[in-house]
Amino acid sequence: MYSAATVDHALALRFAGGAGPGAVSGEAGDAVCGDAVRIELRVADGRIDAARHRTFACPHGTAAAELACRLAEGRDLLGAATIGSSRLEAELAPSAGNRGCVALAADALHEALAAALGTAELPPAEGRVAVAMSGGVDSAVALLKAVEAGLEPVGVTLRLWIDPGAPDGERACCSPRSVRAARDACHALGVPHFGLDLREQFRRDVVDDFLSGFRAGLTPNPCVRCNGGFRFAALAEFADRVGAPRLATGHYARVRRRHGRTLLVRGADPAKDQSYMLASVPSAILERCWFPLGEQTKAQTRAEAGTAGLAAAGRPESQDVCFVGGGDHRAFLERHGGAGPPGEIVDAGGRTLGRHAGVHRFTPGQRRGIGVAAREPLYVLEVQAGRGRVVVGPRAGLERRTVTVTPGRLLAPAARVQAKLRYRTEPVWATVRPGGEGFTLDLDEPVAGVAPGQTAVLYDDDAVVGAGVIAPEEAG
Amino acid sequence: MSVYLDHAATTPLGPEARAAMEPYLSERFGNASEPHAYGRAARAALEAARATLAELLEAEPGQVILTSGGSEADNQAVFGLAGSAPGRIVVSAVEHPAVREPARELERRGFEVAWAPVDGDGVIDVEAFERLVRPGDRLAAAMWANNVTGAVQPVERLAAVAAEAGVPFHCDAVQAAASFPVGLRSSGAATLALSAHKLGGPKGVGCLVAREPGRIPPLVWGGGQERGLRSGTENIPGAVGFAAALAATRAAEDRRAAMRDRLEAALAGDIAVVSAGAERLPGHLLALVTGIRAELLVLALDREGYAVAAGSACAAGDAEPSHVLVAQGMSARDARSVVRVSLGPGTTEADVDGFAAAFRGCLGRLREGGLAEAV
Repeated sequence: MYSAATVDHALALRFAGGAGPGAVSGEAGDAVCGDAVRIELRVADGRIDAARHRTFACPHGTAAAELACRLAEGRDLLGAATIGSSRLEAELAPSAGNRGCVALAADALHEALAAALGTAELPPAEGRVAVAMSGGVDSAVALLKAVEAGLEPVGVTLRLWIDPGAPDGERACCSPRSVRAARDACHALGVPHFGLDLREQFRRDVVDDFLSGFRAGLTPNPCVRCNGGFRFAALAEFADRVGAPRLATGHYARVRRRHGRTLLVRGADPAKDQSYMLASVPSAILERCWFPLGEQTKAQTRAEAGTAGLAAAGRPESQDVCFVGGGDHRAFLERHGGAGPPGEIVDAGGRTLGRHAGVHRFTPGQRRGIGVAAREPLYVLEVQAGRGRVVVGPRAGLERRTVTVTPGRLLAPAARVQAKLRYRTEPVWATVRPGGEGFTLDLDEPVAGVAPGQTAVLYDDDAVVGAGVIAPEEAG
Repeated sequence: MSVYLDHAATTPLGPEARAAMEPYLSERFGNASEPHAYGRAARAALEAARATLAELLEAEPGQVILTSGGSEADNQAVFGLAGSAPGRIVVSAVEHPAVREPARELERRGFEVAWAPVDGDGVIDVEAFERLVRPGDRLAAAMWANNVTGAVQPVERLAAVAAEAGVPFHCDAVQAAASFPVGLRSSGAATLALSAHKLGGPKGVGCLVAREPGRIPPLVWGGGQERGLRSGTENIPGAVGFAAALAATRAAEDRRAAMRDRLEAALAGDIAVVSAGAERLPGHLLALVTGIRAELLVLALDREGYAVAAGSACAAGDAEPSHVLVAQGMSARDARSVVRVSLGPGTTEADVDGFAAAFRGCLGRLREGGLAEAV
């Protein structure tokens, strides 16, 4: 049934129609019930002069679209971005089963707001901070800390490309459900929120690179590339648009100034430290970054979320390589043209031991799935994509004492470092020799399973002083 | 109060039914199972009502099982004829939920259900029905007239098809009985379901008319009323009101078809008539208003003082559009844009003319609102 307010708004239709030439728009629809809401905004000087909707929806959805336009018209973009499902529900009082109808209008409004922001640039405001919201507990607590610090946060969620065939796409941090959760987390604290649709760009810049890397026999780390080259660049651009000098995320890392340089430093919680993932964020962006969780542990974060009653307190952790959506990355590669050539499995002497279905299925150090019987366990030593060959041998053959990193950047002078050669492995002591487009690492002790394409991150004490991509051995 | 044009949903209690019921709501309140004067008076009234119903429905009194309404009668027929060991049944694609959901439940219990298709006007395809019904099927079910479109089904031919295969035929006559005589013998059905409140009777009473009542096991067990086929203290005022209402319906002059035609003429150009090619119930109009959500038009008309129904409302938790309209080939979006107007025996020219004007006014305001275009 319909509340009196729902009937009033659904039949008022004072805001139905188009917003005129030059308007931006956003649409949302429900594939099952066929409802659709389109909201148009005409924006001048960061203020919404006209908000209109065209709706084919039940009275709940129609009333929500009407109300969303009524609330948005006359407000500036940041004010309008605080309007969400909870505000609409408060007035329309839909039953639980009809909240989805109301959310359609909120979705359409926010898509239109994102489009409006794309054409606007708000004047800078000193205390304003752009907070990256994933819908998870970490970013929700980071936002809470920004509010408690008396800053003026503006939430943003990047909607990235997710494999449509993924088994568990909804758990990824950029799924539509996560975008709604992030928006709700902001609105619960009265904070404006924008969702930016970067699916195409992400697919082009990050996913294609991941696919071509595997085709070439490398083992790329898309998360490092995403953070360093894509995500933080998008966040910085967003911060500029909303006039925020600073940006914040819920990563477990810290920023320190040392000798006039801005360096990334490990998070205080050794179990959650995410500095490896952020190692290639450019220093110009790093200077603007604030990581409110850098000084605390994940357990503290969860406790704070619980105390504050944040809805995100119980959400599951998002995953690495989010766009694979919980699936097997080999199946993902094969679905999306990341499969490398099939060919022979050979030993270090070039003797053929068997055949394999594609070089993308192998990474140095791998033991399973080789499919060749031998007296001692065989490991992948090297992937030679050009020749379609996978070289295998006993574990001793995996060990390397020298690693070439190119391209690589040294961020501060350092001769002796601890080098982390893969995510979730212990760093090893190394001596750095700069040269060429990067540097070479002489490892104090041999390391097994160094994979070309992975990121090497150099630490001086807790600070990141260098990072780059591990090159194939021939280049070294 | 507003003008009521939603008689397919329910009807007001007619004066004949009300008058007949009155004593049984007050001084004659007895339990028909008791031998004293109160009980005997109740028993006499019950059996008189049953006799009236039987006569009007071309059946013997012993073939009339009084129930709590149409849904119970449909349930008892479908579950009763199907039996408990899994088998095969044939059911039309446009049945009321009171038949459709029991069939789906049987499907979950391991039965095979063949859904008989309809044509573009929502009329069951007799040839397809003939191909689907096979000897050994537990039952075949089709409604006499559809509650959404008003389309009248070729019941006698469908019953003949079933009879040819030796399959019992159940017919939901709930919607049809308010508009024309329905009867057990002439229909050829094994079972008929009716409801009182659709034809000027009280809510909470209906009946299952069965050629062989002994083949239909009870849904409700207890004191053995209705010859053990439907336990529970008999609803005497309900039965009396039901019989009086059905008799009054048969006797009344019916101007609904003329009123409906007048309405359709007044709205020509504003609407498309759904199932226009079918024989339809006389007071029934399902109007397609492309691009406008029916629920909004219903709310707007309610403000103007007219009560009509959305043909396919989107209920919470049931986002699928009407299975009836989709079965006859309507798009999911159009199925959200149908308004059901169902006239009653008392609907007047003034009602129809006033409604048509209000309808056009509301439709115009919604269309001018620029709601639907371009989405």
